[in-house]
Amino acid sequence: MSYSLNVCHLYGDLMNTYGDLGNILVLKYLANKMGVELTSEVVSLDQPFDPAKYDIVVFGGGQDFEQSIISKDIQSKKQALVDFIEDNGSVVAICGGYQLLGHYYIGANGEKLMGIGALDHYTDKQKDHRFIGNVVIENEETGEKYHGFENHQGITFLGQGERPLGKVLEGHGNNGQDKTEGAIYKNVYCTYFHGPILARNNDIAKHVLMNALKRKYPDADLTPEADLKVGATF
Amino acid sequence: MSLKSSIATAAGKSSYWFLHTFFKGGSSLPGKITKRLDPEILATLGRDYDVIVITGTNGKTLTTALTVQVLKEKYDNILTNPTGSNMEQGIITTFLHAPKSKGKRPLAVLEVDEANVIMVTKYIKPKAFVFTNIFRDQMDRYGEIYTTYNKILNGVALAPNATIIANGDAPIFHSKQLPNPIVYYGFDNQKDGDIKATPNTDGVLCPQCQHVLHYHFISYSNLGKYFCPNCGFERPELNFALNTINELTPKSSTFEIDGEPITINIGGVYNIYNALAAYSVGRFMGVSPAQVKKAFEKGKRIFGRQEEINVDGKLVTLILVKNPVGLNQVIDMISTDKDPFTFIGLLNANYADGIDTSWIWDGDFERLPKMNIKQFITGGERYKDITYRLQVAGIDPKKHLVEPDLDKVVEMIPKAPTKKVYILATYTAMLHLRKVFAAKGFIKGGMD
Repeated sequence: MSYSLNVCHLYGDLMNTYGDLGNILVLKYLANKMGVELTSEVVSLDQPFDPAKYDIVVFGGGQDFEQSIISKDIQSKKQALVDFIEDNGSVVAICGGYQLLGHYYIGANGEKLMGIGALDHYTDKQKDHRFIGNVVIENEETGEKYHGFENHQGITFLGQGERPLGKVLEGHGNNGQDKTEGAIYKNVYCTYFHGPILARNNDIAKHVLMNALKRKYPDADLTPEADLKVGATF
Repeated sequence: MSLKSSIATAAGKSSYWFLHTFFKGGSSLPGKITKRLDPEILATLGRDYDVIVITGTNGKTLTTALTVQVLKEKYDNILTNPTGSNMEQGIITTFLHAPKSKGKRPLAVLEVDEANVIMVTKYIKPKAFVFTNIFRDQMDRYGEIYTTYNKILNGVALAPNATIIANGDAPIFHSKQLPNPIVYYGFDNQKDGDIKATPNTDGVLCPQCQHVLHYHFISYSNLGKYFCPNCGFERPELNFALNTINELTPKSSTFEIDGEPITINIGGVYNIYNALAAYSVGRFMGVSPAQVKKAFEKGKRIFGRQEEINVDGKLVTLILVKNPVGLNQVIDMISTDKDPFTFIGLLNANYADGIDTSWIWDGDFERLPKMNIKQFITGGERYKDITYRLQVAGIDPKKHLVEPDLDKVVEMIPKAPTKKVYILATYTAMLHLRKVFAAKGFIKGGMD
């Protein structure tokens, strides 16, 4: 049997600052190796998000200006996104996308901008300072190590039901205080790693694909797909 | 000149002579010394010049070179700064180094880093500014495009009488009301349609109503004849327009501006914009269209971020890449080559390259498998990233060689299966290659 997955590139025309498109390219590349057909489409301003249509949502990072516009628009998609997440839909959310899945974030000018509260975190901001540089974290459940690059002024604090994507070994992570980086909730992976996190960390890409396949084809034997070997690309 | 300025100038000049004579360099230190002795030295040095400031993310260097070439048709005495000397100290050094001017008021055509525009306008009121474009560029250093534009405007605010000569196809240059007179140049070479930019383009929100902009046509990235279907915001009237593109090759472009057929000896659509900017400055300064055409066609090869090197009989084109839009323009340019070639991609991630390599994923490498490329080589300190990028783009693994060591990459060039070789390299990788090429006698000297 041949499998297919459909990706929603949420605000892909606006939240794409740091090679975020790489995630879609890598999902396609690895899916193709598994023999899975993967398609993607952009859902943006003034367009509804239909949770039944998609298996994976990729929500990238953007510039402050674009993100403030999306903070307003995404409220109209809030319920649909919450439903998708609660129904174990797979999500990869980066920087701004990560912040907007939480309750709120404080923008560069100090204004409070609303997220959708699908996850229980919130984001404050550092005063005149950004965390910039390479990051290495360890997923404490799997032992996998992830490499990335962070560049963010926001500091995020995790809430109920969330666990970090990993423990910070190098760099700053969510807030530079509690050694956490990113968040995992159900099948949602959030991170401050820039842009192409999946390109540099094929392990996460594989988890996302497998979670999506298991959800869409609950009775299928996915052993061959799970056997795909992925290596480090950093 | 005040005593303080005289002393500062003398100190700067002698340090320039010293550095130039004994160390074959010194583009910013004399400026630094002079500035230390007289913080306002630029006011003194620039007082007698009509200054044109050229700024923006991409195309500063080539636009500056072309503008000088064009203005030479009418003006004898033109001062300009060498590549890389586009910050305050480098600009002071440029003035220090200027030959004594006789007779007519001289011109200074200066490439200025976006954040340094204000350092110049604090002391000098330019006659004109040229805005080439603003794209995301090594954001670990520069920040977002709106921040960059504001930095430029902070500088422009100190010179409200200067004419702005701006790329009219860039929506960002039409986003704010400014007191300055503005002249727009742009492309008018395609029929009107209704399209949107590809998803991976930045700066596509309407500055008036924040809906996604549409385009009648796009030349590249977010540049084109834009309009907002929601509020009616649209591209301004163009004062100078490109009407037709006749032929594009990697080494030349033939096109028509305001009906005048022109050829420039450098490839790439982005360089047509640079030529159009230079044309517009020329016209603004009273150079006739025929004189501009003559200036462009004088036959002198012009090099922006690319140069040609003969390596043991191979025709190597070395091209600097530093941000996604520039990279995509280079990919577009090499796609116009009719001959088969070898593609070499070299990625470093030092400070000068940008320490975040994420941007390679915004490059449209997916076009490479469709080109007539016989061999791919990837290398540099971050060879794993660029290697994987090309794998995902779908290039044939049988044609792909990986060599992290740049010295060894140079040794592979004579063995390439094609006569033509394109090397796309980030800044420090390019410097490294040039050093090796120089040591082997393929090129003379280093870069300014």
